[in-house]
Amino acid sequence: MAMQRLIQTLSNSRIRTLLTLFRHFAQGKKAFLLPFVLLALLCGVLLLLTTGLSYVAPFVYAVF
Amino acid sequence: MSNILGVSAGYHDAAAALVIGGHVVAAMQEERFSRVKNDASIPRKAAQACLKLGGLSPQDLDLVVYYEDPFLKLERILLSLMRNFPRSWKQFPYAVMSQVGSKLWILDQLAAALQVPRERITTTEHHRSHAASAFFPSHFEEAAVLTLDGVGEAMTTGIWYGQGNRLDCLASIHYPHSLGLLYAGLTAYLGFEVNEGEYKVMGLAAFGTPRFKEEFGKLIKLAADGSFELDLHYFAFHTDADIGFNSKLERLLGPRRAPGKSWDLLHSEEDRRYADIASSLQWITEEAMLGLAREAFRLTHSKNLCLAGGVALNCVAIARLLAESEFLAMFVQPAAGDAGGALGAAVLGSIERDGRRPVPLNTVALGETISTDAAWDLAKHLELPYRECDDVFAATAQLIAAGKIVAFARGRFEWGPRALGQRSILALPGAPGMRDRLNRVVKKREPFRPFAPAVLAEEADRWFSGCAPELARFMMATAKVRPERMSQLGAVTHVDGTARVQTVTVESSPDLYRVLQAVNRLTGTPIVLNTSMNASGEPIVGSEVDALSFFKNHSVDALVVGNLVLERRR
Repeated sequence: MAMQRLIQTLSNSRIRTLLTLFRHFAQGKKAFLLPFVLLALLCGVLLLLTTGLSYVAPFVYAVF
Repeated sequence: MSNILGVSAGYHDAAAALVIGGHVVAAMQEERFSRVKNDASIPRKAAQACLKLGGLSPQDLDLVVYYEDPFLKLERILLSLMRNFPRSWKQFPYAVMSQVGSKLWILDQLAAALQVPRERITTTEHHRSHAASAFFPSHFEEAAVLTLDGVGEAMTTGIWYGQGNRLDCLASIHYPHSLGLLYAGLTAYLGFEVNEGEYKVMGLAAFGTPRFKEEFGKLIKLAADGSFELDLHYFAFHTDADIGFNSKLERLLGPRRAPGKSWDLLHSEEDRRYADIASSLQWITEEAMLGLAREAFRLTHSKNLCLAGGVALNCVAIARLLAESEFLAMFVQPAAGDAGGALGAAVLGSIERDGRRPVPLNTVALGETISTDAAWDLAKHLELPYRECDDVFAATAQLIAAGKIVAFARGRFEWGPRALGQRSILALPGAPGMRDRLNRVVKKREPFRPFAPAVLAEEADRWFSGCAPELARFMMATAKVRPERMSQLGAVTHVDGTARVQTVTVESSPDLYRVLQAVNRLTGTPIVLNTSMNASGEPIVGSEVDALSFFKNHSVDALVVGNLVLERRR
């Protein structure tokens, strides 16, 4: 199930989104964030694979 | 002539809005279809309904504009996590799951859900969407624009100037300094649900006195140029995933209120203290908004002000801005919260394509229509006691004049959180007992919550003072009930002598206008109590099925749906 979600995440038009994402962060002063974007993506993939956390809406205003 | 669909989704109040050739054809929130209050999911059904009303298929859309930039948002989240590390470690897994698991791919999800090619989906920025939704559908050729909410990508507050087709950002305040997050944090502190309880806090404020001004002065520092800064030591929305304030706030203001506990403002000293805290929050919010409005005037020298963003739904603060700022006319976009971002995004796409500003918004009846035939079939199937009326307006007025509580569902449902005569509960405005009965039995909500009056526009000045036409048309500001009229308006006069007035014109709400005329003939009062057709925690009624379901499940005396009248057997 988790593997299917990962494959789906990386499929089709999502490659386009990934490229746009990297282009966005590669610009000018944002480049220093690229390692953190990669780290976040990696952690996200791990969390998806392990289904370690089901996202629940926070009690407070949804800041993320 | 372009066909542009604007979409907001992902956080709260998902919505779709369709603009065809510069005309706002339809705008709807997903919650009206899904029946999930503040539904944030992709507004598939709302978009389908918009397209159906526009006579379009997904392939006919030239552009789908998402109301914010998901990459800019990710940037803000990453920066916030880094700045607040290690205290933000608790947020990290939630933020990553939320972003990588879903939000980052929102444009792909939209393409799949709406069956639109991915290359036709673009984005704009959150506060630009808000600003566009407020300025372009207004009647003003030029205006200052204020956008105020919790947070978009990074901006929380914006001062803009709109002229013709242009919209320029002049000043901004960024996360974590946010009036919306201050209000949300205190809403949670007072035991209400965030994104839902803010109206309750505003209503509660009138029962208190702002005796915690000094304490609130510590929470937020207001500068002379209109800018402000939160003291983050009192808050936790930047470090925690499930709470917006921390123990230091409780040391400052006292212990938080338990959620769900019933209110007793007459006998409970503790509840009166919470009312004073709500009043102090309302005071500081108004002060901050007033400072921003004065700065907006200094920067633009415009006489007109447009507002959007969730904070702009604070109708008490809006009335104070109108009374005390330099602006002579104001317009608040009726769906000022995130739902309204869909309208702004669609309008921005339309201007980009066609170079034409939309026709001003004269009505909020932008939703799906109700079908008498379908209601008839259903009422017959459910063996409900219905009759078809030649003059449904006179029949409604007779029921209201007889002291009945009437659920009234006709025409297209409203855009935004206010029921303005298309999906309303109507009743006599006179007796305070009517307010108590509605709060307790029908709406099932706190006893201090006020109800609004709807009045024939041409009669408004005889009953209320300080009604601004642009605001009162869509019930966006409070006005003062004239002292000599208060005894006749006991059910719709709040404890502070104000009311959130809706002035009704033939253009804005033709059916309610005719009901009001008939009520005036019968009672001599051109006013009815008007509240939304929903109970606590429910979205407002959308379809005829919802209307009949509401009638079956809630203690209203009658339902008018299309041309049918259903009266409850006693």
